[in-house]
Amino acid sequence: MNSLQLFFQQLLNGLTLGAIYALIALGYTMVYGVIQLINFAHGEIFIVGAYAALTVILLVPFAAPPWWALLLLCAVGAAIVCALLGVGIERAAYRPIRQSPRLNALITAIGMSFFLQNALMLLYGATDRHFPNPLPLLRWELAGVTVSLMQLVAWATGALCMIGLQTLVMSTKIGMAMRATAQDLKACALLGIPVDRIIAVTFAIGSAAAAVGGMLFGLTYGTINFHDGYLMGMKAFTAAVLGGIGNIPGAMVGGLVLGLLEGLGAGYLSAQWKNVFAFVILVILLLFKPNGLLGERVADRA
Amino acid sequence: MVKIGFVAPLTGDQAPHGQDMLNGARLAVERANAQGPVLPGFRLELVALDDQRNPTQAVSAAKKLVADPEVVAVIGHLNSSCTMPASAIYHQARLLQITPVSSNPQISRQGFDTFHRTCATDDLQGPGAALFATQELGAKRIFIIDDLTTYGRGLANEFKKKLQALGAEVLGHEGITQGDKDFVPLLTKVKALGPDLVYFAGMFPEGALLIKQKAEAGVGGRFMGGDGLFDPVLIDLATPQAAEGVYLTTIGSDIRQVPTAQRFVAEYETRFGPIGAYSAYAYEATSIAVWAIRAAGKKDRAAVLAAMKTLKDFPGLFGPQNFDEKGDSLIRDVGVFTVADGKFAFVKTASWE
Repeated sequence: MNSLQLFFQQLLNGLTLGAIYALIALGYTMVYGVIQLINFAHGEIFIVGAYAALTVILLVPFAAPPWWALLLLCAVGAAIVCALLGVGIERAAYRPIRQSPRLNALITAIGMSFFLQNALMLLYGATDRHFPNPLPLLRWELAGVTVSLMQLVAWATGALCMIGLQTLVMSTKIGMAMRATAQDLKACALLGIPVDRIIAVTFAIGSAAAAVGGMLFGLTYGTINFHDGYLMGMKAFTAAVLGGIGNIPGAMVGGLVLGLLEGLGAGYLSAQWKNVFAFVILVILLLFKPNGLLGERVADRA
Repeated sequence: MVKIGFVAPLTGDQAPHGQDMLNGARLAVERANAQGPVLPGFRLELVALDDQRNPTQAVSAAKKLVADPEVVAVIGHLNSSCTMPASAIYHQARLLQITPVSSNPQISRQGFDTFHRTCATDDLQGPGAALFATQELGAKRIFIIDDLTTYGRGLANEFKKKLQALGAEVLGHEGITQGDKDFVPLLTKVKALGPDLVYFAGMFPEGALLIKQKAEAGVGGRFMGGDGLFDPVLIDLATPQAAEGVYLTTIGSDIRQVPTAQRFVAEYETRFGPIGAYSAYAYEATSIAVWAIRAAGKKDRAAVLAAMKTLKDFPGLFGPQNFDEKGDSLIRDVGVFTVADGKFAFVKTASWE
C-alpha cells in the first residue's frame, strides 16, 4: 500500500463516520433553527434509534428477508420509534417552557438526556449489546483502496437522507413553513401557520434522521451501549456548529468534515490524539469563521 | 453485623467482568455463613458497590466503605486505574484490601501494608506474552496498541520491553481511548506497516472492536492480547469468525485444569452459569478475607490486618496461597489461551524468563 492509496483509504474511513455524524447533526441544526434550542437529548434519541433497529433485527427471523429489505425495515422501524419519541419529548418537556428563558429549556434538555440514558439502561441492560449485521461481507479493491458493502450502504443511506431532507425543506409547503418559523415564530403564528405542529414535525424529522444514523452506527461497529449516545451526540453537535448551526447543508458538511478530520488525525498523527486534532482544527476554524463553514447569520434574528 | 466491601464495575461496558467477580465473592460469603458465624454473634454481609471502571467513582466508593465502621475488609477493584487511587484510601483507614485481579505491578510497589492481590502481575504477563509471541508464534514484526489506562499502558510497556530484549521489531505503539468505537483509521495505518502480530493491552469491549475491525480492514497477522480480553462476550462482540485464532494471556492458570478448584467450579456453574475469567480470583480473595476475620476473632480493622500478616499456606483454589512482603500472591502462573471453534481453549502455562 503506497502513501497515496493509504491517504485515499483514510479518506474513505473518515467518510463513513462523517455520514453518521451528519445524520445526527441534522437534528441539532433543525431544532436550533426553529426554536433556538440546543437539544442535548438528541444524542440519546440517536442511540434509541440504534436500539430500535436492534430490536427489529432480533424480532425478524434472521435469514428470512433479503438483507436490503431487512435494513429498510430496520430503518423505517427505528425512524418511526424515534420520530414519536422526538415529538413526545417536545410535547412533554419543551413546549410547556417555550416562553421561559432559554436556559430553562437547555437544562430541561440535559435532564431529558439523563432520563433517556437511564431508561435505556433499565430496558436493555447496562452491558454492550452485540448488533448482528445481516449484510453479506463483500469487499472490493479499486487501485489498492478497499471499499466494503457496509461503507457503500452507509454512504448511500446518508446521501439519500440528506437529499430527501434538503428537498423537503426547500421545495415543499411544510418545508417552507419550517423555514418561515425559523425566521420569525411570532409572525408565522399571526399569519395562521400552525407553529406548534411545524415544530413537532421538525422534531420528528430530525429524530428520524438520527434514528437512521443510529442504525448505521450499530451495523458499522457491531456493538452498542446505552451511553454511546452521549459522545456521538457531542461530536455531532460539534459538527453542527462547525457547519453553522441552523443551516441544514452546513450540518451535512460539518459532519463529513469532522469525520474526515478524525479519520486523518487517527491515521496520520496518532489514534489517542484524534479528538484533540479534530477539536483544534474546529477552534481555529471558528476563530476565523465564527458562524461556521456555511454559517447562518443567527445574530440578525436574535 | 460484620461486613466485607466489594467494588468492581457493575454497570457499563465492563459489567460482565464485574458481575463474574461479584458472583464469586457472593459464593464465598455464603459458604462462610453456612459454616457458622464468622465472629461470635455477628452475621457476615457483602456490601457491593459499583465503580463503573472510573477512577473517580472508585475513590468515592472507597470513601464510602471506609466510613462504615462495620466494614473490616475490601475485595476490589477490577481495573488497576481504580485500584491504584483507592488503595491509598484503604491504607489510610488501615483497612485490609485484597484485589482479585488488578495486575499493574506499580500498585504493590507503593508500600501499602494493607494491599494484597491474588493474581500474577503484568511484569510477568507482559514478558510471558512476548516470549510466547516470538518463540511459539514466530512473530517478528509487531504493532502494539493499548487503552491508555494504568493496566493497558503498563502491560504494553512490559510486553514491549521484553520484545525489544528478544530482538523482535516493534513497528509502533499507539493508544486508543476507552469507549471509542472507530479504530479503522488506526488499523488502516497498521495494515500499511504489514505486521505479523497486533498486540492489544486493554479490555474486551475495545478488544472485540479491534478484532472485528482488523478482520474487516483486511489487516494481516495474528491478534494477541492480555487478560482483559478473557471474557466470552469478546467472541460474541467480535463475531466468532473474526475472533478465531486470537491468542491471549491470563493472570493465572486454567481454573478447569486445577484439581483443587473443581468443587468450586461445579458449585459456581450450577448457581450462576459458565464461570467467568475473574470469578475464581474474587472467590479466593473473599475466602482469604473471611479467614483473616475469623483469625482476628473481633470486629476490628487493625486486628484483621494483623491476622492477615500471619497467613501461611491458605488452602486456596490454585493451591497453598501465600503473599510476599509487597502483598502479591506467590502463585503467579501466566496462562495462554486461544479462540478455537468460537470458544476459549487453554494452550499452555507460559514462562516469563
